[in-house]
Amino acid sequence: MEKKTILIVDDVEINRAVLAEIFKDEYDVLEAAGGEEALVIINSNEDISAVLLDLLMPGVDGLAVLKDMNVTGRIRTVPVFLITASENRDLLLEAYHLGAVDIISKPFYGHFIRHRIKNVIDLYSYQNELEGIVSEQVTRLNKLNRSVIAALAALIEFRDCESGGHVRRMCTLTWLLMQEVSERYPEYYLPPDEIDKIGMSAVLHDIGKISIPDQILKKPGKLTTEEFEIMKGHTVKGCEILQKIPDLVDEGTYVYSYDICRHHHERWDGRGYPDGLVGDETSIWAQVAAVADVYDALTSDRVYKKAYSHEVARQMILNGECGAFNPKVMEAFLKSEDKILKMYQETQNN
Amino acid sequence: MKFFDELQMLGVDVDEGVDRLMGNVDLYERMLMKFADMLKETPVTDDFNNDNCEETIQNIHALKGAAGNLSIRPLYEAYTEIVNLLRAGEILQAKDEIRRILPAQENIVECIRRHGQEDC
Repeated sequence: MEKKTILIVDDVEINRAVLAEIFKDEYDVLEAAGGEEALVIINSNEDISAVLLDLLMPGVDGLAVLKDMNVTGRIRTVPVFLITASENRDLLLEAYHLGAVDIISKPFYGHFIRHRIKNVIDLYSYQNELEGIVSEQVTRLNKLNRSVIAALAALIEFRDCESGGHVRRMCTLTWLLMQEVSERYPEYYLPPDEIDKIGMSAVLHDIGKISIPDQILKKPGKLTTEEFEIMKGHTVKGCEILQKIPDLVDEGTYVYSYDICRHHHERWDGRGYPDGLVGDETSIWAQVAAVADVYDALTSDRVYKKAYSHEVARQMILNGECGAFNPKVMEAFLKSEDKILKMYQETQNN
Repeated sequence: MKFFDELQMLGVDVDEGVDRLMGNVDLYERMLMKFADMLKETPVTDDFNNDNCEETIQNIHALKGAAGNLSIRPLYEAYTEIVNLLRAGEILQAKDEIRRILPAQENIVECIRRHGQEDC
């Protein structure tokens, strides 16, 4: 069986040598003569199974090492034992708060320390292994969940007689535009993982179309006022569906899915539907999804029209022919033109 | 007198020290030499004041850990006491304790060095 690796951190060579002698038969032993050297090793070596850390060292001390391991998250997977001659209770308590699993006082006894450390290393290995299995299962479940959602979205498209790929393109476009808006305008900043969720959430924006009768959904000509009123209902109906099956999307994306579903037809000047929200009363992700939805609708074949070119679609959006949009989102849209065209080109090639 | 017997006479718990190193006598002897080197590099002295007291605490704290691991008990116990006194601000008492332990420290270091030279 492959030996596990432990790191011994102590500024006094004698202490490192004593510990190394105790552990050398069962572990590969790395040594650091100070906190700074220890952090370089910890941050560049994924295989460390435990750190034996002296508390009081000149320069970067044991507490600083623990703090850094909290920042990088290594403290969750690598057990840290404080090996110290200090009896300062405040310091030792702080070390525990920073995630040290045990404090071993100098002088220590080789056989005891070997057993104590081995027990914890085994426990952490088991825990890390379990976390790996759970993470793998969550990934598989998420993948399955995404497949179910994608199948549902494809069904809606199929029923809508759309040319196919609208939902996929709209998601990518929403993600792309949201990135640009977030980078460009601090007031709309969102972390990358939230932008990823928004992109995924757009997939169910038209789920409410399931409730729209065929004669309206597939009507090739212009809708009557009454028919249009029914069609507008797909936003609210979609939210009702999401409320009835909240487990369809995970907790982290539910808010985005619901919001985009309800508000992707709102407009900046309040002339959209269903709630007639004005300006930033509509969330930025729903505003962005609205532009993505309109752009893709214009540049795709539909039962009632042929696809427009990018240039014509761009002009129609800028002219306000599809309703008014947030000027900042428009700016981001124009700045992203090359990326958008590239994405559409790739979609066609696929 | 044999080296380890002499150390034991001076209060060093040789059996415990060797046991801590999983029975590796050679390593124990080498580490005793290292300890003597440490004392040469950072001698324990009563020549300090409030300004460099923290530095003295750090030095003696490091020696305390090493002495403890090598089971040099008289020095480990004295260094522990000195560090506690210094942390409590009892500088005069700490200096008294340093002066008290220096002869014993000198005897132990001299024994280690003499044995090291015999080995050479």
